[in-house]
Amino acid sequence: MSVNRRTFLKATAAGVGGGMLATQQATAARPRKALDTDISMLNDCTKCIGCRACQSRCKETHGLERSGTDPRFDMPVDLSGRTLTLIKMHKQDDFFTFVKKQCLHCGDPSCVSVCPVSAFEKLDNGVVSYNKNACIGCRYCMIACPWDAPTFEYDKALPVIQKCDFCKEARLAHGLDPACASACPAGAIKYGKRGDLIREAHARIRENPEKYNDHVYGEHELGGTSVLVLAPKEVRFEDLGYKLYGDTPPFRLQEDIQHGIFKYFIPPVALYAVLGFIAYANRRKDNDATKKDDKKG
Amino acid sequence: MEHNSAPMNQRLWTPWFTFGVILIAIGAVLIVYRFIAGLGAVTNLSDGYPWGIWIAFDVVTGVALAAGGFTMAALVYVFNRGEYSPLVRPALLTALLGYAIAATAIVIDVGRWWQIYNPVLPQYWQGNSPLFEVSICVMIYITILIIEFVPVVSEKYKDSKKPFLRSLSNKLGPLVNKYLMVFIILGIVISTLHQSSLGAVMIAAVERIHSLWWSPFLPLMFLISAIAVGFAVVTVESYVAARSFKRPVEKDMLARLAGIIPYVLGIYLVVKLFDLIFYGKIPLIFADWWGLMYIIEMSLLVFIPFFMLLKKSVRFDIGKLLNVSIMMIAGIILNRLNTYLFTYQPRPGETYFPTLVEVLVTAALIALLFVGYKVLASFFPVMSVSTEEK
Ligand code: SF4
Ligand code: SF4
Repeated sequence: MSVNRRTFLKATAAGVGGGMLATQQATAARPRKALDTDISMLNDCTKCIGCRACQSRCKETHGLERSGTDPRFDMPVDLSGRTLTLIKMHKQDDFFTFVKKQCLHCGDPSCVSVCPVSAFEKLDNGVVSYNKNACIGCRYCMIACPWDAPTFEYDKALPVIQKCDFCKEARLAHGLDPACASACPAGAIKYGKRGDLIREAHARIRENPEKYNDHVYGEHELGGTSVLVLAPKEVRFEDLGYKLYGDTPPFRLQEDIQHGIFKYFIPPVALYAVLGFIAYANRRKDNDATKKDDKKG
Repeated sequence: MEHNSAPMNQRLWTPWFTFGVILIAIGAVLIVYRFIAGLGAVTNLSDGYPWGIWIAFDVVTGVALAAGGFTMAALVYVFNRGEYSPLVRPALLTALLGYAIAATAIVIDVGRWWQIYNPVLPQYWQGNSPLFEVSICVMIYITILIIEFVPVVSEKYKDSKKPFLRSLSNKLGPLVNKYLMVFIILGIVISTLHQSSLGAVMIAAVERIHSLWWSPFLPLMFLISAIAVGFAVVTVESYVAARSFKRPVEKDMLARLAGIIPYVLGIYLVVKLFDLIFYGKIPLIFADWWGLMYIIEMSLLVFIPFFMLLKKSVRFDIGKLLNVSIMMIAGIILNRLNTYLFTYQPRPGETYFPTLVEVLVTAALIALLFVGYKVLASFFPVMSVSTEEK
């Protein structure tokens, strides 16, 4: 008998979140979703030619070292402390798809929720930014991120967490587009406002239904993301490493439970009071007993 | 029942003690090297496996095993079961060392360790993160454990020849004793909070860990299992300490204490069964090898101990009691490792097996527990002695 635990869990998480914790959910703070005004990026796998110009320009912009086994070349196999975005080649029969990996700048980011020291922040413009002065390097963000985006500089004695920062300081601050978007010679990466890009993505699908997978990845996934992905018709998003998720990130349930335990500090204080009372009552009983004994003796 | 505690004052350098000290020395060198060379140089941690045995075993399992400190305090001071008071100080010492070790492991494992105090800075507070809660609670709890240990230290120096030590002890000891209840109850509350939060940490990782281990009830499961195993650890600890200090084992007391365990395990079992049935996980038990793993873990931690400890003949046979306790400890180790490490799904293609350094550092931290216990129980009045003996 085989049960798909992923699907099973999606049902579970939804059921629990709705039922058991309905009361806490009513009070859950900051239900943020990706906004139309957030800055955004549309990565179109059908246009990418796999030249990796974006990948190289990103490294250059962030001053990152080469990765891979041969130090003469830059040949990253996955995201790492030295690679904030990369192009992966996917082969299905005789059909190649190039897919871009990076932090998706979630509308409702898991990394922001789990970081114990608020090192991640969802900025008003939509960028999820990282503050190394806050970070203690616990790597919980890496556990919680649904897209394996944050990475860690294991090879350094004084490491930081690395992930795509949307070129916030290096380029956006100077009025420039993100490095990858400006490097792409094939027009596969489009930079803009999220609302516009979602409309554009749907238009591309509408105009070329035989070319596109009929799904704008990131429009709704876990509250929506700022990075949107389009895939070729024959290729499933799961196979490209973009798992299909529901609309609510799992950390929401975690927050609800955590807030339940700590609700206005009532449960801990109540526990303290109850324990204190039991202890006090027991002492009294004891003292009375000794007094009686004394009298008898 | 009257009891007093006394320093053991025995020969320290037994062969086992020497072995422990050597392990600690090796560990210390490796830890220094880790700080110079970075995590990648000494561990097999990766972007796929951000947490290895240092977190899953040294921290998460270690904290669970150190729960005996707060459960014994609750039993004796809150529920007024004075008959167990000889077990309180040893349990307190074990907890103190256990938490000190977990805290050390955190500092070693964390990447930006020089900022480790950041969770206490208000501008960085993050109430949504269970890990924030854990870090704050662990800091407070270690402080409380140290405070609870003050009377033990001051008892030693209350008649000291050095006037300063003597007067300090005579002031501090009674002062702490006067407010001891406040700290003890606070310690219990803080413990229930962070024991459960350690379970909450993995709720967000629903896609990463196997459904048999993932549950919205993880916080409750972690808390209850830690309470149950806390008593098992007290049993083993008190047996090993008695043997090591060549003292009689408190057989009857441990037997009575073990009578509590089935109740706690019973509650755990109910929560576990509810989780299995309500979320329709039962088919998963028969789906693959993880189902077998689940059965093994549950047998060690719950099924076998539950039925064994219901029997008086087992509880009052110190050999059997010891075996059951060790079984429970193995069960909880397996449970924590399954939840945090074994069933963890990294990004595709990654594997993890600890390096020798990770293992040796873990061994050093475990050795620190035994060596520290022996040293502190030798110099301070931790172990109980009956009044006639004194
Ligand atoms: S993709 Fe991961 S790292 Fe990026 S914002 Fe979302 S949760 Fe954070
Ligand atoms: S590694 Fe840094 S950024 Fe990531 S969760 Fe820990 S403290 Fe936050």
